[in-house]
Amino acid sequence: MSRDEDHKDDGFAQFEQFLEEWSRRDFLKRTGGAAAYLSFIGGGLAAFLEACAGGTSNNTPTAKKGGHVVEGNFSDIRTLNSMLSSDTASNQVIGLMFDGLLNYKKDGSLVAALAQDLPKTNSDGTVYTFKLRSGLKWSDGQPLTSDDVKFTYQLAYDSQYKDVTSPRRGDLSKYIKSIDTPDPQTVVITTTQVFAPFLSSHGRYGILPKHVLGSLDGKAINTAPFNTAPNVTCGAFKFVKWDKGQQVTMERNDNFWAGPPNLDQWIYKVLPDSVAVTNQLKTGEIDIGPVDPSHFDAVKSADNVAVTEFPVPTFTFYAYQLDAAKKGGKLFSDKAVRQALLFALNRDQVVSAVYFGHGSVANSVEPPISWAYKDKPQVLYSFDKAKAESMLESAGWTKGSDGIRAKNGLKLKFDMITNAGNKQRESMLQVMQQSWKDIGVDATPSLIQFPQLVSQITNIRTFDMFLVGFNFDEDPDQGQLWHSRNTVAGGFNGFDFKNSDVDSLLDQAVGTLDKTKRKQLYGQFQDIMSDVVPAPIILFNHGIWGVSKRVQGADFGPFNQFATRPWNHNVWVTDGK
Amino acid sequence: MIGPSRVAELDMPAAGVETAAARPAQSYWNQSWERLRANRLGMAAGVLILVLAVIAVLAPVFSAVLTHYQPQTINLDQTFARPGATHLLGSDELGRDSLTRLIWGARVSLGVAFLTVALALTVGTTVGMVAGYYGGWIDDVLMRLVDTVLAIPAIFLFILMSILFRPNAVTLAAIVASVGWGSVARLVRGEVLSVKQRDFILATRSIGARDSRLMVRHLLPNVLPVLIVAASLGVGQIILIEAALDFLGLGIQPPTPSWGNMLTNAQSYFFHSGFLVAFPGITIFVTVLASNIFGNGVRDAFDPRLKG
Amino acid sequence: MLVRYVARRFLASLVVVLGVTLITLILMDRTRGTYVPGIDLNPSLRPEDIEHLRENLGLDRPFYVWYLTWLGSVLHGDFGHSMIDGSPVLSHILDRLPNTLELTATAIVIGVLVAVPLGVIGALRRGSKTDHALTVTSVAGFAVPQFWMGLMLILIFSVTLEQHGLPWLPSSGAFSAFNGGDFLDRVEHLVLPATVLSFFYTSQWSRFIRSSMLEVLSQDYIRTARAKGMSERRVVYLHGLRNALIPLITLIGLELPGLVSGGLVVEVVFGWPGIGKLAFERALQYDYTTVMGVTFFATLLVIAGNLLADLLYGALDPRIRYG
Repeated sequence: MSRDEDHKDDGFAQFEQFLEEWSRRDFLKRTGGAAAYLSFIGGGLAAFLEACAGGTSNNTPTAKKGGHVVEGNFSDIRTLNSMLSSDTASNQVIGLMFDGLLNYKKDGSLVAALAQDLPKTNSDGTVYTFKLRSGLKWSDGQPLTSDDVKFTYQLAYDSQYKDVTSPRRGDLSKYIKSIDTPDPQTVVITTTQVFAPFLSSHGRYGILPKHVLGSLDGKAINTAPFNTAPNVTCGAFKFVKWDKGQQVTMERNDNFWAGPPNLDQWIYKVLPDSVAVTNQLKTGEIDIGPVDPSHFDAVKSADNVAVTEFPVPTFTFYAYQLDAAKKGGKLFSDKAVRQALLFALNRDQVVSAVYFGHGSVANSVEPPISWAYKDKPQVLYSFDKAKAESMLESAGWTKGSDGIRAKNGLKLKFDMITNAGNKQRESMLQVMQQSWKDIGVDATPSLIQFPQLVSQITNIRTFDMFLVGFNFDEDPDQGQLWHSRNTVAGGFNGFDFKNSDVDSLLDQAVGTLDKTKRKQLYGQFQDIMSDVVPAPIILFNHGIWGVSKRVQGADFGPFNQFATRPWNHNVWVTDGK
Repeated sequence: MIGPSRVAELDMPAAGVETAAARPAQSYWNQSWERLRANRLGMAAGVLILVLAVIAVLAPVFSAVLTHYQPQTINLDQTFARPGATHLLGSDELGRDSLTRLIWGARVSLGVAFLTVALALTVGTTVGMVAGYYGGWIDDVLMRLVDTVLAIPAIFLFILMSILFRPNAVTLAAIVASVGWGSVARLVRGEVLSVKQRDFILATRSIGARDSRLMVRHLLPNVLPVLIVAASLGVGQIILIEAALDFLGLGIQPPTPSWGNMLTNAQSYFFHSGFLVAFPGITIFVTVLASNIFGNGVRDAFDPRLKG
Repeated sequence: MLVRYVARRFLASLVVVLGVTLITLILMDRTRGTYVPGIDLNPSLRPEDIEHLRENLGLDRPFYVWYLTWLGSVLHGDFGHSMIDGSPVLSHILDRLPNTLELTATAIVIGVLVAVPLGVIGALRRGSKTDHALTVTSVAGFAVPQFWMGLMLILIFSVTLEQHGLPWLPSSGAFSAFNGGDFLDRVEHLVLPATVLSFFYTSQWSRFIRSSMLEVLSQDYIRTARAKGMSERRVVYLHGLRNALIPLITLIGLELPGLVSGGLVVEVVFGWPGIGKLAFERALQYDYTTVMGVTFFATLLVIAGNLLADLLYGALDPRIRYG
């Protein structure tokens, strides 16, 4: 694995943005689709007041105490340690049991959790001072102090803990210079440089108890019993038991900082697939669950379930191989080809046929729900087959006797890969194949397992084109995908997109905290991206959740789907059971 | 002896603990054939399989003359069409004609089944005969190999081999056969062990017949009944294994249709268009049922122990 | 003689254990690419972090070094920790094995209870319409793909019954999510998956019992018994069935190796937390240690099963001699 000096300096790796989480679900559960995307951090919940303001029926005076909720999902969890976890499902369960300093509101803005308020920032934007709420306690009654916060972050940035297999290490060790704890209630994080997305990306990790884990060294933390049975928590719920492969049972934490939650128990149940989620929502075996777009009507028509739908900051895109030394790169280094292929794709039809209308065609690389979104960037692509063909003609790609276009003896023929098991992506590849065949392009779909796809994108990179999903959080920074720095081995820009203008815009935009200026920079960025289309976005997905009508106060929104649910402790059940 | 759609190996029920009689005489084959012909149910099932095989072979003709669709042609304006005049058995989530895909799917599903059986029997018989006939260290080495193959959890082999060899009809057959040949080998070895004690083999040996000639001319015919039974029972089971692998995401890749991936695929749209699961489901059911009935008929007819 | 035979088989088994684990490891190693288990796709990891992870997991070394290290710890009874979640491999296996045993054993019992009467009746009325009907029925249940039958049963006995306000059966898991786990609750959860799994056994064994009954009934001692004027019922049940059932026990013994993969599809469809599902999921994630642990255990089961079958096989057919 090559080590690129460049990539150690600025702006690398801002967010916990992962390729859409896959795990078992993606693979064997023919679902994919809109549900279960974000792979964020096991952050906090809480934000009592915010939840009141955000929801309609939350925490109304009629809220009853007691009862339980069973949440179903088709992803199994792996660990309950917030610093080791990297998958959506684990983060989601961790979010129920561990709060972070901050949390997200529905719209993505930050709200205080274990911290009293949003932190104070010094004048140059490199020092954040957090004040913890007073009287914070762990579920075992021990005080929760700034030492616990420091310890948690140390696991991922301090070289003393370099053996901890934390997926946060890259970012934290790069941006955190030091953490000081002048008193038990104060945490001062000094960063190495101004990095605009710092708080939204790194303010939400579930805080871990130093009095339980503090005596262990790095290697021992990886395998600590705490990771599968966290006996001490600081979130709305306490751990009861984990029946591996089936469910995690949690119960009310009376020491929770916002007061005891309404529910006595919250159970996270692992289901075989999205069909099972739909079935069990209907039978009432589960109360909450993500709904596959193709099951939307079936769930909607059930008397006992309410369905909620909203756009999420997740997109599905395909990437052209841009490394001119490779086979695909020889085709796709021609901008006309990249643009023409996108023009030939009827994305409206894809959304309505493959996603049953539960998605939005993308005009830009930024999510429409982002504050930095530019609705009409420089080049817009609406389905236009004739235009696509004439673009290819004039760029010199003419049809041969076999109907396949070619230029200088090079045929417009390539392979497309995605991971097996994701129904929607499988369908999309087939639609792309046909759409492009119609304009004389020969594209062959191929499904590979997820680990092999990862290897392809980050290291081997012999693909011509790949199709995957990508998650974003609230901050509009997208450097992970598009910055040329991330073309290094292991980096995410595996399609070798290098554009110095884009690099400089992205660098400038994370180097300032001035939102107006950032918005303007991201506008320019979106213009360029729409013109060069290194990796076109097909659509932005929708989150769809089924919630039993006996459950009140579940206030799902674009940024409140999985780990970050400040409303968790307000959920209550009408029948008190 | 692990079961079929349970993602395991070729299964040779019952036959495993049975032994053949002495070298079957010519009349044995005639008698067996007569017995099979008398089994009307079994014969009907056999004919049905034959018809399906013909349809599979002639799939291009059928789709050109009968359905007028291609199996992979997408039409997003006609997704989930109900069965009717335009699409006899309806269309799927990408507007492809279900009947056309079923017909082409027969190629894959039956093709994989026959090819797997052929591969597993060839390899298994060879190994089993050699091991059983020579005995000694050859037997030891070969049978340890068989033990090893049979002991690796089949699912690991299926997953890892499907990554190693991207599944299409041929590689999938090879993958399934790579798990299945072991039990055939063990079965054949057992037969050979018991047959080679017979007088006529000892006699043939003592007059100095070549080993290969002895095996092909004298042992093989004795093993043949067991193989015929195994083959005819195997086809249906492989169809189920193939479907199970499709269900687990390890089978034939789209857009190529197989019955298994059509059924798996349709399951996700069950709530939306239930009819999509009906036809591949029925097709698999009928085919497997027929081949099992035929297989049982063959066993009743050819299994020497059930004579009389 | 027998002792020597068993001893030889034991030595041979060692070879098999080594072969199986080595082949599994090589296959994983050849197909893994550059994937590092446990971290998925994480753009915020730096190359040096990944390299460090690789070293920690021992994946920077050639597979044979990894293998020998693994073998060394296994000899000390240490199966290591999962590469995906860090918990001990042994606890993973011991968590799941009882569930699989529960499911498989129930299915086997159902299978025997249904198959024996079907097989006996078929044999007694050989060639009759009843026989044909039984033949068709017993193979019909097995002609439906398990995953499909599972979904159908869920839709009928779970979803539809529930929606008509009738008593219904739970559709996934080994017990109820809330306050579950008592005996009756577990039984309720067992019904559907065990039914689907039992179809396999029923169809195989009813055919087997039929032919083995036929064979037994044609034996001399049965003729003798009949000739001595013993009642037909006693002939069939006392002598016939008893002798016909002995080989069935061999067959059941042979199910042992199938524990890991055998019920996989059923486990997946019904979200049953068994060993098959564990093996399947972990192999897809390249959890080396867990996969190797499962392989090791599975191999032991196979060896035990084969040994048992071989011994019984020999006992049943005196013509086979073990040297």
